[in-house]
Amino acid sequence: MKALVTGAGGFLGRFVVEKLLQRGHSVRAIVRPRSTGPAWGGDVEIFPADLRVGANLSPAFDGVDAVIHLAAATSGSEDVQFASSVVGTERFLSAMAQSSVKRLVHISSIAVYDWSSIRSVMDEMSPVAKNIYEMGAYTMAKVWQERLVTRSASSNGWDMTIMRPGFIWGPGHSQIAGMGRQSGRLYFTFGLGTRLPLSHVLNCADSIVLALETPLHGIHTFNVFDTDDVRVRRYVAEYRRRSGKPGWIVPIPYRAGLGLATLAAMTSRAAFGRRGKLPSLLMPKRFESQFKPIRFSNEKLRRELGWVQPYSFQQCLDFTNAEPGGKENEAPGG
Amino acid sequence: MKKQAGVVIGCGAIAREHLAVLAEFDHVDVAAVCDISPVRAESTAERYGVPRWYTSHRKLLSEVHPDLVHITTPPASHAAIARDVLGEGVNVLCEKPMTVGYCDFVELKQLAVKNKLMLMEDQIYRYHSSTRRILELVKSGALGDVLEVQICVSLNVSADGSQYLDRNSPHFALSLPGGVIGDFLPHFAYLAYMFVGPILDVRTIWAKRVPETPLVADEFRALIRGERASAYLSFNGSAEVDGFWLRVVGARMRVETDLFEPPRFTVRRLRRGEPALMKLVDGLGESRDVIKGSVGGFVRKLAGRSSYDGLEELLRSTYRALELEEPQPIPLAEIDETARLVERLTQSEFKL
Repeated sequence: MKALVTGAGGFLGRFVVEKLLQRGHSVRAIVRPRSTGPAWGGDVEIFPADLRVGANLSPAFDGVDAVIHLAAATSGSEDVQFASSVVGTERFLSAMAQSSVKRLVHISSIAVYDWSSIRSVMDEMSPVAKNIYEMGAYTMAKVWQERLVTRSASSNGWDMTIMRPGFIWGPGHSQIAGMGRQSGRLYFTFGLGTRLPLSHVLNCADSIVLALETPLHGIHTFNVFDTDDVRVRRYVAEYRRRSGKPGWIVPIPYRAGLGLATLAAMTSRAAFGRRGKLPSLLMPKRFESQFKPIRFSNEKLRRELGWVQPYSFQQCLDFTNAEPGGKENEAPGG
Repeated sequence: MKKQAGVVIGCGAIAREHLAVLAEFDHVDVAAVCDISPVRAESTAERYGVPRWYTSHRKLLSEVHPDLVHITTPPASHAAIARDVLGEGVNVLCEKPMTVGYCDFVELKQLAVKNKLMLMEDQIYRYHSSTRRILELVKSGALGDVLEVQICVSLNVSADGSQYLDRNSPHFALSLPGGVIGDFLPHFAYLAYMFVGPILDVRTIWAKRVPETPLVADEFRALIRGERASAYLSFNGSAEVDGFWLRVVGARMRVETDLFEPPRFTVRRLRRGEPALMKLVDGLGESRDVIKGSVGGFVRKLAGRSSYDGLEELLRSTYRALELEEPQPIPLAEIDETARLVERLTQSEFKL
């Protein structure tokens, strides 16, 4: 199969391209023209383009069987994220609609869910966030991205699989939101026993390529979580030990943190009305979307796509913290 | 009284500032928004409860008949859109710089005069609370004659990750004369004009201190001789501590404010008494002003007030003038002076 991959030069993108090559596919990788893309070996054709600007994307689809759409910003101002993730997607979909490609795997995020209304388990039936403009720029952009791809897939009759990974971690990206906040040598955590919705970049890439290879008709959505039950306590301890950033854990119970955020929000509302602004940690909905102690189900991914997690948490830790370029940096068994 | 109808063309960051202010006005309805990106237009309409959205300003003008069009697109598109809007007989409030070149402004001005329409430029720092305080001190005579005005911007536009350095998606400011600094020149120009009057002479220095960036310049200095006083302008593009300092030296008083951090405002005035003691009194007074301004600025942020202090007052004045059929709040002649001064600042001695 020949796959077109957007965002191929990004953190997840380069692992997805590597996994595609391992599985014997050929790849056309869209990489920003002035960015240095990874040096992939094998059957990779670079298509230099930036989806934020009006480049001619039509040739990118020539001879392509399916698309993996990863391009998105994970940081930056609201404008930066909206331009990269949403306006870029709009341009890309417009070009795809002119092509003969009918298969799309879109990479979304669990940030699109309405965490406040989830009682015990987050699965694909969990509701999507409603008032997205109260949430952060990332949630806003990912929700709008999903709206766009869903509309395009419906109106063009494409087969589309939406993948919603949890906290993606890996080499150079092991500090994740759910572990709390670090200030100097102090690690403030909000619920040491809370399960983390982890998706190691190797496992995530594996599931994305599996979704591409599995013929499904219509529109389907899958959450992407690793199966290991990893709690905040263990993750932070491993992070401290392996990252060379020792320090002390300051455990704050989840309910205390949420209570403080609720109190701050009420005070802000009373003092400044609905225009009042607070840091995200003191906004109850945003606090919940990082630390809420719920379960995360990947049952649908395993049942319908037959996904088996290739690398255990321990293997992922070893891979993530190996010296760059060192022998251990090769994917275990890969 | 009939509500005024506004529309916003261009749905980027500054448009959101306009829409947030307009949402608080009881006497204004936003009838439509427009952007060449459908999703940007639609999401903006959804967010602010605007009933209609468009991707073509011409289609918008043919279907909606607003009292005022806010043009908040990148500067290169201002002239063409403003020409269409004025041609349709609708008033314009345009982001700065209104046009990239002075000759385009002259054409728009003629069209506005001919059609008896408002052609306003968004000169927000003119309406900034601190600027207005200084103007009151000038007007009341407390400051004495204005001798000098210093307008100094420090902004680390050369920093790693700066939006101005993204070569894949070049920032619109890079295409302006003077590049990123050119985007600030209208602020320099109207603030200087307000205090020193008609411009008699201009000297500039442009420099590029940080190599290998797409910026045409990252350092700018200018000396301006006006009819009433002189002005010193500066832009430092690699200063890590940012600020937008406006200092006005009068015969009886010196005032200083950071326009990025309202309501920070310090005053030093002439005092009679033992000099050493008066220095102490001045120092304590300034410390009090700094603490007051810093706390006020923090509370202002918590209150979610716009970082564009002055925009609310500018929009209120503009809609009030429309409602009462009064002359536009910033006379066209002053916007003309601003545009001419910007042209002179970029053309005189533009050497790297």
